[in-house]
Amino acid sequence: MAMMIRKDTLLYKLTQLHWFLLLTIIALAMFGSLILFSAGSSAHDLETGNLKIDASYAIAHIWRFVLMLGVALVVALLPLRLWASLAYPAYFIGVLLLLGVELMGNIVNGSQRWLTLGPLTLQPSELMKIAVPIALARYYHQMFAAGRNGLWVHLIALVMVLVPVAFVLKQPDLGTSLMILGTGCGVIFFAGISLRVVVVVIALVAFMTPVVYFFGLHDYQRERIHTMWDPDADPLGKGYQLQQGMIAVGSGGLAGKGFMEGAQKELEYIPEQHTDFIFTIVAEEFGFAGSVVLLLAWGTAIFQGMMVAGHSRSAFGSLAASGFISTLLLYVGINIGMVIGLLPVVGIPLPLISYGGTAIVTVMIGFGLLMAVHLNRANDMTLRGLF
Amino acid sequence: MNRDWKNLFPSRRMIFLGSGGVVFLGLTARLAELQLFRQAEFETKAREVRIKLEPAPPHRGTIYDRGGRVLAGSKRNFYVTIRPEVAGKSREEISRVIDRVGRLLRLSDSKMRTLLQDATTPPAHRDILVADDLTWEEFAQVNVMAPELSGVSAEVGELRSYPLQAAFYHTIGYVQKANEADIQAKIKAELEAAGEALDSEAGKTRATTIRRLYKHPAMRVGKQGIEAYGEMQLKGDPGKIRLLQNATGRVIDRLPSDDIQGKPGADVVLSIDAELQNFAIQRFGADAGSAVMIDVHTGEVVCMMSTPAPDPNLFVSGIAAGPYKALREDERNPLYHKAYDGVYPPGSTFKIVVAAAALESGAMKPEDTVHCSGKAWYYNRFYNCYKTEGHGTVNLHTGIQKSCDCYFYRAAEKTGIEAIASVAHRFGLGHRYALGLTGGKAGSVPNDAWKRKAVGEQWYAGDTISAGIGQGYVTATPFQLAYMCARIAGGGNTPNPHLIVSGIDVPDYEIEPMGQFKPGVLEAVRAGMFAVTSEPGGTAIRFGALDEKNELPAPYTGARMAGKSGTAQVIDLSGRRDARGKAISNDKLPWRLRDHALFVAFAPADKPRYAVAVVIEHGVSGSSAAAPVARDLLAHALKTDPGSRKPFVPHVSTIAANEAGKA
Repeated sequence: MAMMIRKDTLLYKLTQLHWFLLLTIIALAMFGSLILFSAGSSAHDLETGNLKIDASYAIAHIWRFVLMLGVALVVALLPLRLWASLAYPAYFIGVLLLLGVELMGNIVNGSQRWLTLGPLTLQPSELMKIAVPIALARYYHQMFAAGRNGLWVHLIALVMVLVPVAFVLKQPDLGTSLMILGTGCGVIFFAGISLRVVVVVIALVAFMTPVVYFFGLHDYQRERIHTMWDPDADPLGKGYQLQQGMIAVGSGGLAGKGFMEGAQKELEYIPEQHTDFIFTIVAEEFGFAGSVVLLLAWGTAIFQGMMVAGHSRSAFGSLAASGFISTLLLYVGINIGMVIGLLPVVGIPLPLISYGGTAIVTVMIGFGLLMAVHLNRANDMTLRGLF
Repeated sequence: MNRDWKNLFPSRRMIFLGSGGVVFLGLTARLAELQLFRQAEFETKAREVRIKLEPAPPHRGTIYDRGGRVLAGSKRNFYVTIRPEVAGKSREEISRVIDRVGRLLRLSDSKMRTLLQDATTPPAHRDILVADDLTWEEFAQVNVMAPELSGVSAEVGELRSYPLQAAFYHTIGYVQKANEADIQAKIKAELEAAGEALDSEAGKTRATTIRRLYKHPAMRVGKQGIEAYGEMQLKGDPGKIRLLQNATGRVIDRLPSDDIQGKPGADVVLSIDAELQNFAIQRFGADAGSAVMIDVHTGEVVCMMSTPAPDPNLFVSGIAAGPYKALREDERNPLYHKAYDGVYPPGSTFKIVVAAAALESGAMKPEDTVHCSGKAWYYNRFYNCYKTEGHGTVNLHTGIQKSCDCYFYRAAEKTGIEAIASVAHRFGLGHRYALGLTGGKAGSVPNDAWKRKAVGEQWYAGDTISAGIGQGYVTATPFQLAYMCARIAGGGNTPNPHLIVSGIDVPDYEIEPMGQFKPGVLEAVRAGMFAVTSEPGGTAIRFGALDEKNELPAPYTGARMAGKSGTAQVIDLSGRRDARGKAISNDKLPWRLRDHALFVAFAPADKPRYAVAVVIEHGVSGSSAAAPVARDLLAHALKTDPGSRKPFVPHVSTIAANEAGKA
């Protein structure tokens, strides 16, 4: 290595990027576009019997990824302190936007999630997936610096989590509200809340779940959970997507049916197969082997992320990173879990693989932050002087 | 920095990574359960009860004649299909099923071979038509045997039928199973009509729907004639039915709550009178040829036939290669629409165009005479009159009456080709009429510009002389000749011709109006045509009377027709001389080399109502072979008077309701 690169240049920073993590992300996204290529194509088209190629999903996916990779690198290379300073404003703007959605949002798929501002459509609940962990990280960072770590500190943090969760739940968007809640709880857990409290909370949740199921949920949410336990009850209705998805997964076997050879997709049996149910194509065409490889790739990314969190000298860095990793684990676990019938169908995409714009934006900004934490791991950052 | 927290983090990370590991292990375990231990179960399920969203072919629009008689309708169709993926996994298994069903239905070996070939070509998850138009007994037999014939199902649908068989083969055409090229063409046409791009989301959906519909075993596509031209209107909009299938592909149940009703196709009414059409076909008998009759008052085509013709019903379920080859090679051209696609030299019938052009341009006056000695000398060669001893002194009236070639050589020479071509266009020659069926020829109205383009040569003065008697480069279809006659009979206000009264919109943007001729021009031509059939010395004097016994009601009482004969050479005269250089008479030539016989006429001569053109291929003489046919057709038309009856109006709502009830 030429030791001539000065430490304060952009080039030096680039060489110090977490390249292993970066390559894992790129590999996942490329695998995603391969699967999306297959989602549009078919080796023996139902109509013509010939090879049918439709790369439009794959190409759009790649463009979106390349664009967001650029954004992630910008996020990574800007000073971490900047993101810390933006944490509270982002959080408050997010809450205000959620309030805006509540008052005048657009209704999509029966729920209000979007806010239209001129040509832009915003989904503030996605913003909160990033804003909540970094706001919490900054909050804890300052509390720790002041030597405070009593239970009340964690209770204030919990309130900071519950406000946006309540708004998102009211939209109603069960999946996203669970994600924000999980992410926030993750940060509180990493911030050192007493394990006894954690155990009590888990016990309480276990007790409250049936209560919430019967009194706190919308009918459609209850139905989704119900069909998960008994998809055969209504094979033409609500359980249909899940059942057909599981048939696709199960019939894949050990090695899969082969690239573009999936049969279920051709008959358009599985609604939303290129978005939330993309994993059914992976499992049907690449089998158990391919599915495990995909799980391992995600495991690697999550493990690397946790290592980054541990190596950061600043509490802000550690907690922001841990929060984002919690989000990732929730994304992957909930998505695959629902497709293979372990969890209710809640409408959460598989990041970097599923087709669609919002999740990739959130996840790539998160990875940018993660890499920023990595670059700034030696900096213990006093956050004094920030508003 | 809070040291307590810093020390706490690694243990929290361990707990997190540990629970993350549990989550991933859980996912892996579940995947192993589904993909490794329960694979067989799901593989069966993948082929088990599944919902099939099947396009339901819509009811195809009926085609009626002007009196409401069904010319192209739908009949009940029992058919049998096979689904290869259900019939078996290997070629042998599929072959066994096809063998059994083939023996049951007495299919030919070659048909079974094609079927096997088709069934073993992917994709396997589609229904392939085994046989249709089955009797009820055959259908019932397959149904009874069904449990032993996996993948085979017996279904009921609709099939096109043509009750009048050959009578409308050329004009209406026929339907057949769509091939890939048809499907591509239909997708293109429908996307164009809807204004959608093929790569747009809506366009893709539409293309898939169209493809699925035409792949349906019970669906047909118009291949020719009105069936092809009006495909989009006749076809209707497909509905969709949801079917529940079991592991063998047999439909267990239909889920009617999810049915999407289709829309039946438009009913089409033609201006043709089927009775007159049939009369014409019978009158032609064994002769090959065509006849077109047009109502001068309305422009409606009341008869348009071409004979001989095959039965279109033979084509609906696919015609075998042998019979089709025989049809193609028949020297009487049964597959050819002689009335619309056949171009012939108009021969002497063109003399009425030359006469009108000579008068209109002022080149000749009606009283100007020409001496005919049997031949005339123009541009260093002799042009013969068909009457070798000559007609003596002729004027316009007797020139038409006796069809004197010498008179028209002179008239053409004095008038010039440009003026003749202009009048020919005004009479409606040289234009392909859009009638709502495929095909159609424009013929040719030559002049200098035309010849430079088409032949690559300048126009010679001698060409004008040949054109004067309708030989050389002039060609026309029987349809054009009929409409020309209608314009001469009806004058400047004759409506444009049309064949389709309702159901399909057929715009003809390029049709040119005739405009008004100088006073006396059309009258002189009509008087000449009257003389042909009704004044001593006329070439068709024997055939002028349509109502000899004065039996027809007014205004047709005692009607006579006016007309003009024509004889079109099939080959150059020089090819028909014997070894000693003597001309061989037509009767001694082989049939396919004899002259075509033409006759155009209108009736009644004094108050024209119907105009007709008759072409008898290789009929030798216009005045003796075609004229009596024209007379009989016009006499029949005056007797039954189809033009006086308003065309049939179908009741759309009742038809749609009937179909819905049946389904």
